[in-house]
Amino acid sequence: MSAPVVETHGLAKTYGLAPVLREVQLRLLAGAGAFIVGGNGAGKSTLLRMLAGLEAPSGGRALVFGQDTRRLAARYRRRIGLMAHQSFLYPNLTARENLEFYAELYSLADPRASALQWLGRVGLAEVADTRVRAFSRGMEQRLSAARTMLAEPGLLLLDEPFASLDHDGAESVAALIRGALERGACVLATAHAVPEMDGVEFAVFELSGGRLTQHPHKEAVRRGGRIRSLLGR
Amino acid sequence: MRKDLRLELRSGESTLALLALSMLVLVVLVFALGAARVRSVDAAAGALWVAMVFAGMLGANRALLAERDNGAIRGLLLSPLDPATLYAAKLAAALIFMAVAEVGAVVLMVLFFNLEFDASIARLAPILVLGAIGFSALATLLSAITGRTRGGDMLLPILAVPIFVPALIAGVKASAAALAGAPFVSMGDWLKIMIAFDVLFVSVGYLLFEHVVGGD
Repeated sequence: MSAPVVETHGLAKTYGLAPVLREVQLRLLAGAGAFIVGGNGAGKSTLLRMLAGLEAPSGGRALVFGQDTRRLAARYRRRIGLMAHQSFLYPNLTARENLEFYAELYSLADPRASALQWLGRVGLAEVADTRVRAFSRGMEQRLSAARTMLAEPGLLLLDEPFASLDHDGAESVAALIRGALERGACVLATAHAVPEMDGVEFAVFELSGGRLTQHPHKEAVRRGGRIRSLLGR
Repeated sequence: MRKDLRLELRSGESTLALLALSMLVLVVLVFALGAARVRSVDAAAGALWVAMVFAGMLGANRALLAERDNGAIRGLLLSPLDPATLYAAKLAAALIFMAVAEVGAVVLMVLFFNLEFDASIARLAPILVLGAIGFSALATLLSAITGRTRGGDMLLPILAVPIFVPALIAGVKASAAALAGAPFVSMGDWLKIMIAFDVLFVSVGYLLFEHVVGGD
């Protein structure tokens, strides 16, 4: 049995006196997809940032590829792709320049070719030489998805990946997620509601009151209210 | 660093602001000092360093500002890039911006303080380089800290200037001596203070940058 890509043991986070996450237990293997749903301020983004090593836990441990996220070496950081609310893009660089910059950071063989290839995949090839500051929120979100997946990381942490996207944008990001799962990456995403994607079944967790509980995927998609289909057809 | 320079060449915001600020400081000081002191090398050296310090703070702030937009700093911290390399790149970018400001400030100082473009101006170069390294190292580190707080732009000068005082005094004294035509041997003690300051703050920045720039 393969080692888990993500493993947390009693993970907790407190801001001041307010606990955001309590005793979070999570275990995901390579090739697994999971969605964490929850309302605003439930701690979904905090959990992803902690798994990416960008925020230290107040208690417990988070392991990614078997490494404690408090001190992730470069060779493990390069295997994590984080798509956050902020796009991590430079507004005064063009879409191509942004991806080329990140491709160089990840030492990809041909940064320009990689940048153009990923721009094509997210439907932004025609605006490759347009500065990001001129992009709509949805276009920036697509480019952010391309930036996240550029180096084909083994763990994808996607914070509301379908937010601000129109139908075509959501389809292209969904296709990227499917592709990542097919090549064996582990995908952990957050959403206010569970998206339904053709041919992909996710584990669904609900984060509420700082605690993480798992729901069967189909039941989660069926349920109305907080957990419902986002892209349901 | 190439990305920082590309962004700067595209907008030109920092360079223009640095030069404008240097000019403003020198003009104000020329009028404040009056005609009697305008030929004094001491006054010229002091005015030059005041202009440099203001310009340096602006440059260091700008170098990290691009990384704060859209949270790009997190993208860098998550990448395989060594945070110490990131510090070195930011320091180099701040140093280049400050060097540009220094060249402009020196030209303006010569014009406003009725000095000559002679060998004494060339002798300022190593002193200004030492000052620029020390101040850029300090300001880059502090701007990484203050950039995470509300009103951090205002906090930077409050923190940076008092810490820079030893190097600032040494720089002013050494620059005045250089402008007066004194040999480098006579300003050895001042240069040693500046070198020690540079070594200290480049090392501290290199070691601490990872801890101050990341997280929330």
